[in-house]
Amino acid sequence: MSSYAVTIATLLVIQAIAVCGLNVIVGYAGQISLGHAAFFGIGAYSAAVLTTKLGLSFWTALPLVIGISALIGLLLGLPSLRVREDFLAITTIGINFIVEAVFRYVPFFGGALGIGGIPRIAFFDMRLKGIPFFFLCLGFLVLVLLICWWFTRSWASLACYAIREEEAAASTMGISPVRFKLLAFVIGTAMAGLGGSLYAHYMQFISAGDFSFPVSVGFLSMLVLGGMGTLWGPVVGTLILGIIPELFRPLVDYRIFFYTLLLLLMIRFQPGGLLGEESFARKIIKPLLRGFKK
Amino acid sequence: MTQPLLSLKGVSRYFGGLRAVDGVSFDVFRGEILGILGPNGAGKTVLFNLISGIYEPSSGEIWFSGEHIEGIPPHLIAQKGIGRTFQIVKPFGSLTVLQNVLVARGVTRYSHLFKVWGSWGSKAEIRKAMEVLEKVGLSDLAERKAGLLPLGNLRRLEIARALVVGHSVLLLDESFSGLRHDEISRLEDLIRSIRKDGLTVILIEHNMRVSMGLCDRIIVLDHGQKIAEGPPVDIQQDKLVIEAYLGGKGTAYAS
Amino acid sequence: MRLFLEQLLNGIAMGSIYALITLGLALVYGILRILHVAHAAVYTIGAYAGLLIFNITGSLLIAFPGAMIVCAIIGVIIERFVYFPLLKYPPFVPLIASIAILLCVEEVCRLVAGPHILTFPAKLPFPDVSLGGISISSTLLAVYVITALVLLILWYITTRTELGLAMRAASQDMEISGAMGINSHFIVSITFVIGSAVAAVAGILVGIYYNQVYPTMGTVPAYKALALIVVGGLGSVPGAVIASLLLGMAETLLIGYANIPLPRDALAFIAMIGVLMWRSEGLLGSSR
Repeated sequence: MSSYAVTIATLLVIQAIAVCGLNVIVGYAGQISLGHAAFFGIGAYSAAVLTTKLGLSFWTALPLVIGISALIGLLLGLPSLRVREDFLAITTIGINFIVEAVFRYVPFFGGALGIGGIPRIAFFDMRLKGIPFFFLCLGFLVLVLLICWWFTRSWASLACYAIREEEAAASTMGISPVRFKLLAFVIGTAMAGLGGSLYAHYMQFISAGDFSFPVSVGFLSMLVLGGMGTLWGPVVGTLILGIIPELFRPLVDYRIFFYTLLLLLMIRFQPGGLLGEESFARKIIKPLLRGFKK
Repeated sequence: MTQPLLSLKGVSRYFGGLRAVDGVSFDVFRGEILGILGPNGAGKTVLFNLISGIYEPSSGEIWFSGEHIEGIPPHLIAQKGIGRTFQIVKPFGSLTVLQNVLVARGVTRYSHLFKVWGSWGSKAEIRKAMEVLEKVGLSDLAERKAGLLPLGNLRRLEIARALVVGHSVLLLDESFSGLRHDEISRLEDLIRSIRKDGLTVILIEHNMRVSMGLCDRIIVLDHGQKIAEGPPVDIQQDKLVIEAYLGGKGTAYAS
Repeated sequence: MRLFLEQLLNGIAMGSIYALITLGLALVYGILRILHVAHAAVYTIGAYAGLLIFNITGSLLIAFPGAMIVCAIIGVIIERFVYFPLLKYPPFVPLIASIAILLCVEEVCRLVAGPHILTFPAKLPFPDVSLGGISISSTLLAVYVITALVLLILWYITTRTELGLAMRAASQDMEISGAMGINSHFIVSITFVIGSAVAAVAGILVGIYYNQVYPTMGTVPAYKALALIVVGGLGSVPGAVIASLLLGMAETLLIGYANIPLPRDALAFIAMIGVLMWRSEGLLGSSR
């Protein structure tokens, strides 16, 4: 397998982890977040600072990174989730811009130059890179998916679905909307933080621009395209929106144009996502499956 | 004289200058079916919202089973066993009918640190949820997506969910609206059987025939104030009530 | 003192331009509840179209209406072919489509007109004025006058004409106003026409003011405008205008005069979050 393909695959897996987190917030709990990249960045910078400035290993730093991402998610989520739905989108955009500005202008985070020299992840005696690192990330993705699957079997997820559908009715069934919106938000930001940490160790060099608003848009697009609220939607969406730019690479100058055009067309004609209810894909697959069952 | 289950004392709710509910007091006794009547805009739904915690009273007290519940958020009131339906139905559209009821079944778990992580799909849970669906007559629609149901079934789903939550009191807000004749009589039977099970029912209803036939006692509101209270037979002849509905020169009530 | 006044005047000009851009966004949000990020794309097209027409005809008097027509058409196309079919989906679906449109248009501009910054060496037909020792360039004056004119026309339309009444009714409740015989879809399209035409004016003014037209000129205004309509109170056009003016002045004074090194883009959002904490409906918003 060419090292180029491994690079792409690894990045895809790392992004999928972040998008799974976004799925908990947007798909399960129905809250919009257009600032998810900020938490991806918080995870990345936490990992970078803990490993370069404090000399911790990836594994020791990991629970701290997840904890920090979750905590900041909680702090930022508390005021955000009280505002009206329309405001939430813009507030999360604002969070993205502000967090990015903090990383860019506060000298502790390396300013415009970012933080470099982030060590590779050590697994026993091996410094992981290439294919072994890919499998490590894959392992984390599987873990995240398992957590999501287990989450959807719990009462907590029912509460989130209820809030997503009809918040007022949900509250009359013992569900505190603020509490569960926050719960989903914290789980989502924790997952984003995990992804960010892997990203930092992978790139070995990060800067504020890696976590700007367009990245949040990218995450949300991947989620929506794959199908919000489904288990595999994040993976499918990330795969498709991650691979397409690579497919368009030969088009050189026209790449971004075709990519954005394709995104527009996909969202316009398949807004429910590829794994969503009325999707093209389901319409083809369902009758096929029925045919097999006979 | 037995202790009332639910008691409102001088409850008022103002919105700016508007007195939606103005100094309303009444008691509700265990096992009765109480009707809340009144012309449009009288403040009936606001009253429900006050009891179920969606609004906080501007003044007054609400007692339930011997404790203050005014100002307590809706989810905590639900956990005390007060269930309600909404005038405009609010089904969880993309969930199945069964899942809608299962959401209600979780009422005792949502505030519990550990129980909230338990699985909702166990055989026992599903069986209990199906029992409720059977009671309201929706069991063969259990796997249907709630968003696809017609209004009559949606009203029954609302009641099913409220039944699960309301092991003490059921607040039914215009549950008969928009139903056909046969659906209405089925619903009347259901409510009577609910009362036989020991629940207390408070219902807001516009349909005079239904409310007169179903309720033990009736309270009439007009412009936020209680203008009459008593058994149906008295209410029908109450001058103030007739005036409120017909605006002055009424004779007998319209049914 | 003189420096302060000059910066203040710059700030007001800046704010006026923000107001022109944000206006369209506020109008669209008021009627469709959609965050029309692609509005910045219309604005960018307005700048390019204006420049093109000016280069061909040499006349701003033709460039302005020409660009306004082009943008109005594009605005309606976006509304009919992208937003309208997506109205029944949750609001972030049209939002993503809107962002995709903005990015796509930026790329088209880059591919067609080139990535370099083009100059817009037009002179607006206004005199250079000197008031008490402070010089106000013709461009500055033009910005004030044109903005005031646009706001006046808009105010007149919305409060004194039947069309305006229909627009306000539709923005309150589309279904009911439809039941009263107002052709809601037509009203929506008219809203886009007006908003997009004003965006064209903003684009040309910015192009001349900074003497710069480039593909990504819409990016920063896109997101600032979002923050501004929140601060002003979602759905309130006067609120958006006031918020724009305040931001223009704040940015110019804080950074130019007082030398506080705040990141400019984040400033709008910091202000937005500050205002939201204080008044959760924004400055002039109404709780719906």
